[in-house]
Amino acid sequence: MATISRVADHCFWLSRYLERAENIARILEVNQSLLLDTQLPAEKQWMPLMIISGIHDYKGTFESEAVQEFMTWDIDNKTSIQFSVNAARENARIIREVISSDMWERLNFYYLWMQDTAGRYLYNQNRHDFYNQMKRINHMFHGITDATMSHGEPWQFLQMGKYLERASQTARILDVKYHVLLPSTEDVGMPIDNANWMGILTSCSGYEPFHKQYDSRDMLMSTAVADFLIFDPIFPRSVRNSLHMFQTALHAISGNPVREPKNDPERLTAELLMWLDSSQIDKLVEVGLHESLTRVVDTIGDLGAKIHETYIDVRMPDVMPT
Amino acid sequence: MSSQMMTLGAMTMSQGHVPASLFSNYKLHPKAWDELFDLSCAAHPHCHAVVERLGKLGLTEFQDRRTSADLEFMNQGITFSVYADRRGVEKIFPFDLIPRIVSGSEWVRVEKGLRQRITALNMFLYDVYHDQRILKEKIVPEDLVLRSKGFRKEMIGFTPAQKQYIHVVGTDLIRDDKGEFVVLEDNARTPSGVSYVCENRIVMKKVFPQLFRDSAVRRVEDYPQRLRESLFSVAPDGRDDYPNVVLLSPGSYNSAYFEHSFLARHMGIELVLGADLFVHKDIVYLKTTKGPERVDVIYRRLDDDFLDPETFRKDSLLGVPGLFRAYRAGNVTLANAVGTGVADDKAVYPFVEDMVRFYLTEEPILRNVPTHICARPKDLAYTLAHLEELVVKPVNESGGYGMLMGPSSTSAERAAFRVKIQADPRNYIAQPVVTLSTSPTWTEEGVAPRHVDLRPYIVSGKTTWVLPGGLTRTALVKGSLVVNSSQGGGSKDTWVLEDR
Repeated sequence: MATISRVADHCFWLSRYLERAENIARILEVNQSLLLDTQLPAEKQWMPLMIISGIHDYKGTFESEAVQEFMTWDIDNKTSIQFSVNAARENARIIREVISSDMWERLNFYYLWMQDTAGRYLYNQNRHDFYNQMKRINHMFHGITDATMSHGEPWQFLQMGKYLERASQTARILDVKYHVLLPSTEDVGMPIDNANWMGILTSCSGYEPFHKQYDSRDMLMSTAVADFLIFDPIFPRSVRNSLHMFQTALHAISGNPVREPKNDPERLTAELLMWLDSSQIDKLVEVGLHESLTRVVDTIGDLGAKIHETYIDVRMPDVMPT
Repeated sequence: MSSQMMTLGAMTMSQGHVPASLFSNYKLHPKAWDELFDLSCAAHPHCHAVVERLGKLGLTEFQDRRTSADLEFMNQGITFSVYADRRGVEKIFPFDLIPRIVSGSEWVRVEKGLRQRITALNMFLYDVYHDQRILKEKIVPEDLVLRSKGFRKEMIGFTPAQKQYIHVVGTDLIRDDKGEFVVLEDNARTPSGVSYVCENRIVMKKVFPQLFRDSAVRRVEDYPQRLRESLFSVAPDGRDDYPNVVLLSPGSYNSAYFEHSFLARHMGIELVLGADLFVHKDIVYLKTTKGPERVDVIYRRLDDDFLDPETFRKDSLLGVPGLFRAYRAGNVTLANAVGTGVADDKAVYPFVEDMVRFYLTEEPILRNVPTHICARPKDLAYTLAHLEELVVKPVNESGGYGMLMGPSSTSAERAAFRVKIQADPRNYIAQPVVTLSTSPTWTEEGVAPRHVDLRPYIVSGKTTWVLPGGLTRTALVKGSLVVNSSQGGGSKDTWVLEDR
C-alpha cells in the first residue's frame, strides 16, 4: 500500500523532530557536564553549541542559564526542545488517522506536560532529570510505535526520520567536543580530557557498551570514543549503524534490494556508507574529525532533499498511468 | 416566582426518591420544559432510575469525575487552539456530565419524523435539479429556490449515484415549552459535531461505568461504520467493488479538523487535502509515494464554493481543479452532493412541511418553527414591526453567526439590523423566540437549568440510518438561548434509552 505523499512527509518529520528534541537535550546535558571539568569563558562554553545547531543570530548572553533557556524553551528558536516537541506534536495531530491512538496520546501527554507548569518545575528543580525526561519520552514513544502501529510504509517513514536525524545528531554531539576544546594537543590523553570523552559517551547512552570493548592498549581514549560513535556496527546510536537502519527503511519503501540502489536517496546513502565503511578512524582524525563530521551532516542534509524529491513532491503527470 | 421554582430537595427528601446532593438544590426554569424533571419536580418516569443513581453521587465525587473527564478530553487532544495565545494553549469544549435523556418510545417518533423529512429533502433536491415540479406547481416559490445562494445551476440535469444528495444531515431540533420536538433547521451541507457525540460517550463510559451498566443506553459509537457503509454504497458504477473512499478536509487549521481526523481514523479511510488530489482526464487521483491512485468517493468537508476553482470560487486554494468535471462525468461521488445548500437555505426551510406533503403525501411528523420570510413584503413588514420579539437570522449562515435575538437586543442593535434587513430582505428570516427546553447542568452555582437543543445525524447511502440521540448542545450562560459552540456553548451526552 502506498502512502499519501504529504502523510509520508509528516511521518518523516514527526520522528525527526522528536529525535531532534531528544538530542538537543543530550547536547545540553553533555555540555553542562563538560563544563564541570573545564575552565572556559562562558562564550566559549556555549558558542559551539549554537554553531553546531546552526544558530548564527543569537542575541542573548552566553551565560549558562540564558543559553539553556533559549535552547530549551524559546519557541522562536527553531532548534529549541520546545519548538521541536511542538512541531512533532503538530505533525502527529495532522496524521492522527495514520499513527496509533496510543502514539498520539503519549506524545500529546508529553506536549501538555511541557506546556504545563510540571515540565517547567522539573526543569527548575532538577535539570539533569529534565533532560533525561526528554530521552524517556522518545524511548517510550519508539516502544509504543513499534508495538502498536502496523509496520507498513508510514512506519518506515517514521523509521527513516528517526535514524537520519539520529545519525546527524550523533555527529553533532561529537563535534561539540571539537569546538569546545579546539585541538589543544597537549591535553590529549590527560585525565580532564578523558572525563570529557566519558561525558560524551554518557550523553549518547554509550558508556557501558563502549567499555565492554575498549582496550587502552589499542587506542587512545579520544580516538576510541570517536571510533565507537562513528563506526561501531552494533551500537544503536553510532553514525554508521543509524545510517544502516535508515538504509533498511529506505529500501523497504522502494522494495529495491539494499545492494542495488535505484533512486537518488538510495544512491546517496550507499555512497555515504561506502565512504564510512572504507574509512578508518586514524585517517579521519588525521584529516580532521570536524571536516569528516561536517561531511556526514551535510550529506544527511542532501538526503533529506532527495527524499523530498523522490517521495513527497512527486510531479504526478510524469508518472501517470497511460 | 411560580410554584415550579420550589426546590427538589424539600420534596424528595421527604419522599426519599432522590437523595440530597447533586439535584437537591435544583430549581426548575420558570417557563421551559425540563429534560429530566416534570412540573412537580419529580423525575420523568424514563429518567427516574438515572436521576436516582446520579443523585446519590456526592458533590465532591461528582467534581472528581468532572476533573477526570476534562483530563481525558485534554489528553486525547479533543481540544481547540486559542489562536491569540502564542504558546498554543489549547482548551477543551465545555462538556457537562449530566446526561440528557430521551425515552425509547419518544425516539421512535422522532426517528420516523427525521426519516420522513430527509426523504422529502432528498426528493426536493432531485426535483429542483431536474423537472422542478414543485416549483411549477407553486408549492415552493420558484424565485426563492433559483436565487438561493445554495442553488447550483451546474447541477441541473445531473443525477448523483443512487439519486442520493444528502449523505449526511444534522437536523437541529428544539423542544418547545410543551415538550414537543420541533425542527429549527436542517444542516444539509457539511454538518459537524458528530465526533463530539462519539467522544462524549467514550468519556462518559469511562467516568460512569456503573451507570452505563445499569441503564440501557443505545450505542452511538457505530456512527463511523455506518457512514463508511453509506459512502461505500454510493461509489460510481463499475467502481463499487473496492472503492477508494477518502475524506477531503480543508486542513489542520480548520476548527473541525479534529472531527475530520476522528472520522477518517474510525472509518479507516485516508484523510486528504485538496493538494493531495489532482484530476487527469476527468478522473480523480491521489498523490502517493508510489504514484497516482484513483479515488472513487470523496466525503468532503469543504463547502461547494471551495471545491473546484475551475467551476466555483477561482481563488480557492483548498479545492481540486477539475473536480467538478470529474463529478459530472460520473467518475467520482461527492458526499454530500454539490448544491444541497438550497435545501438548508433558511428561507426554503419554511416549505419543508409542504415538501413532505407534496412528495410523500403524508402529514409531517416533525413540525417547523413558524417562520417569516423577509423576501415576502407582508412578512418583511411584520418582522420590522416586531423586531423586539423575534429572532432574525441570515438564511445561509450557520454556527449562530449574524443573528439578532430580539428580546435581549439593544435599540441600537435593532436599528442596525433594520438597515441590514431592508437592504437585503431575501437574506433574512424571522421566528418567534422559542423557549428552549432546559436540562440540569453543572454550573458555578451548583446544578441549574440551562437551555439545550439536539442535533441528530442522519446518514444515507443505499439505505438511511438515524443516530440514536445526537449532539445535545447546551448554553452555559444562565438564561441564554444560544447553544452554538462558536458562541461559548457546551455539550452533553444524549441518552436514548432502550425500551425495556
